[in-house]
Amino acid sequence: MTAKDQRIHLFLVDDDAVFLKSLEIEFSEAGEFIISTFATGELCIAHLDKNPDIIILDYLLNGIDRDAMHGIDTLDQIKTYDDTIPVIMLSGQDSIDVAINCMHHKAYDYVVKSETAFVRLRNNITAALHLKKTERTLKWFVDRM
Amino acid sequence: MTHHTLQESRYARSLIEASLDPLFTISTAGKIMDMNNASVLVTGLLREQMIGTDFSSYFTDTDKAREGYEQVFARGFVADYPLTIMDGKLTDVLFNGSVFKNEQGEVLGAVVVARDITEQKRIEKELTEARVFAELATSIAETAQSKAESATLIAHDAVKAKQQFLSNMSHEIRTPMNAIIGFTKVVLKTELTAKQKEYLTAIKMSGDALIVLINDILDLAKVDAGKMTFEQTPFKLSASISAMLHLFETKIQEKNLTLEKHYDDAIPEVLVGDPVRLHQIILNLMSNAVKFTNEGGIDISVRLLKQDDRSVTIQFAVRDTGIGIRADRMAAIFENFQQASSSTARIFGGTGLGLAIVKQLVESQKGTISVESVLRKGSIFSFTLDFQKTSAKAEVDLELMEMDTAIKGISVLVVEDIALNQLLMKTLLDDFGFERDIAANGMIAIEKLKTKHYDIILMDLQMPKMNGFEATEYIRNKMCSDIPIIALTADVTTVDVAKCKAVGMNDYIAKPVDERLLYSKIVSLTSRPRVINITDQVAATVVGGIIRRIDLSYLTIRTKANPVLMMEMIDAYLEQTPALVIAMQQGLLEQDWTLLRASLHKMIPSFAIMGIHESFENMARKVQDYAGTQEKSEDMQGLVQQLADVCTQACNELNEELIRMKTS
Repeated sequence: MTAKDQRIHLFLVDDDAVFLKSLEIEFSEAGEFIISTFATGELCIAHLDKNPDIIILDYLLNGIDRDAMHGIDTLDQIKTYDDTIPVIMLSGQDSIDVAINCMHHKAYDYVVKSETAFVRLRNNITAALHLKKTERTLKWFVDRM
Repeated sequence: MTHHTLQESRYARSLIEASLDPLFTISTAGKIMDMNNASVLVTGLLREQMIGTDFSSYFTDTDKAREGYEQVFARGFVADYPLTIMDGKLTDVLFNGSVFKNEQGEVLGAVVVARDITEQKRIEKELTEARVFAELATSIAETAQSKAESATLIAHDAVKAKQQFLSNMSHEIRTPMNAIIGFTKVVLKTELTAKQKEYLTAIKMSGDALIVLINDILDLAKVDAGKMTFEQTPFKLSASISAMLHLFETKIQEKNLTLEKHYDDAIPEVLVGDPVRLHQIILNLMSNAVKFTNEGGIDISVRLLKQDDRSVTIQFAVRDTGIGIRADRMAAIFENFQQASSSTARIFGGTGLGLAIVKQLVESQKGTISVESVLRKGSIFSFTLDFQKTSAKAEVDLELMEMDTAIKGISVLVVEDIALNQLLMKTLLDDFGFERDIAANGMIAIEKLKTKHYDIILMDLQMPKMNGFEATEYIRNKMCSDIPIIALTADVTTVDVAKCKAVGMNDYIAKPVDERLLYSKIVSLTSRPRVINITDQVAATVVGGIIRRIDLSYLTIRTKANPVLMMEMIDAYLEQTPALVIAMQQGLLEQDWTLLRASLHKMIPSFAIMGIHESFENMARKVQDYAGTQEKSEDMQGLVQQLADVCTQACNELNEELIRMKTS
């Protein structure tokens, strides 16, 4: 049941305001997400206590503002805070190296910014949440053995 | 015997007597010579009675006892030899013994100690029992677990089967209903006599009622399966209530009832919530009130209960002066298929699902519902719901979207196996002035696609030969075509919608098809900007001599033409872009390749969003790649200038657009 507080809490983190807004609009359409958007990794980290179910994080967060926290550092801090939050990395670069780097830092997946990004993010979110739920069910059974 | 040895001997004796284990000395012939007090206690005989008797006669197995003491004499000792004493309790003992000799080394006899091992045996037995028990418990637990797992699987399957059944049933009922309602609508548009019109209207109303019932059943099933979803859209509560009450005016006049509305003016004009579900709740309560009231009137009140910065709690109450509910039936009326009395159904009709749905809809949104009633006086149904406050305007009413007759000549391929539905789609599409072609299944559709160009496909899901999902997969993956596909489905469970999206369909429409919705979906999907221009040439729309850079059709589709969202997107672009242009120029000027690259990186996605031609996006990518090689190239200066120009022009155009949107 998707009543008010059972909706999926989604964090969107990107310093590209236009892309961030377009994602926000796409995700709010279905009404199944509570969406929080952040322009920097620092803001995302500062709000982790709001318990996001899933985070979509831009890889290049310090492109223009050199002092800003990098996407990978943000990812590391999220994972230190709570290892179980799935983080999907988003990037303008279609690069294997970037993808591998993200996966090494425990990202759930890596999605390239394009017209199909939204669909792929949606599929990824569904899969990540399904995995998280399965893991919880498994733990439930293990705890009771 | 000296005094000294006497003392030693007494001391030894007292040690022996103090032992709790029975202790004997026996002669080489096996006769008891002496014993301690513990032996007396165990056997229950006097010392005098025992001296001179056979040692072996005190044990259950005399032969074994004899063998035991013979071993002592043969080997000089025996250790932990098990025997059972013939006392009242048959005490188990372990028997230890060794010979004693005189000063010349001749064997005089043997000293034997029998250690009581009853306790040890008991513990051993308990241990074995415990182990067996533990093993048993483990296996029971394992069985229980596997049972629980299989039960979970069975339960899961049962839920799936139920959903599948409901989905199938809805398809089976909706498909013919689709044709009935659709054709009735078509005939109603033709010239008719008053009588014919009346009869056809009756057919349409019955059909609509049946669809409502099917939807009700599906709704309940969805609630049960946890699939009920609630929208969070801005809407005007007051207008919504008024529109709904309007529906009952005729009925209320016919029954000569009064209708009063009390609306609390303190309620904010626009709220965020699910207007469709609210409509459904009030509709159910109102139709009950009208149905069960024959004289007097109905009173609906909407009150603001409490509010804070972010949300409001609103109480809705529907009061009638109808037949009322018996006190003992009050608890049952919210259950599925229950009515206040079995005779109610016969007199008033109805399935008894309405209040069950109302309760589910209210409680799923964290609201509460209650009823007060006095038999033959009337009832009050009241419920409370929370809504979010908002600064946004209510969504554009879709009903206001007029059909734009200017759009003609869209060619549509309808993939549908049922002849009646084929005919209905033909009629609707002819009405719109679109060209259309029919394929009876997915295979035929694919053949047609190979030979002819279509703008859009309307695809039924359940078909023989090749169903809608398979056909779409083939079109997307094998034919690599991105032609827009709208699913026509009677299965409105969320499961199927997800499946439609997963195979690559663009949208779906539930049957019976709403013609306005069908029209607007076809038009919006076919007007999507498509990449036709493969050459590097800069294409653009010419407006009044100046090349227009932006094209908001992508944004319009993405935001569903919602002006608030469109303005938000444009604002975001206008805020970000000038800074990016400056960063790009500065990067080039100072040969700061990282900055140049980053600014382009961030600029690239916005071209497509604002409909700026893709040749500029490619240009930006080119500059980004140059910057990646950290070298200044000849034409870079020119490219950056062109990009800066197009962005500035796009900003100007968007500013004008924004002003136009705000004033309209």
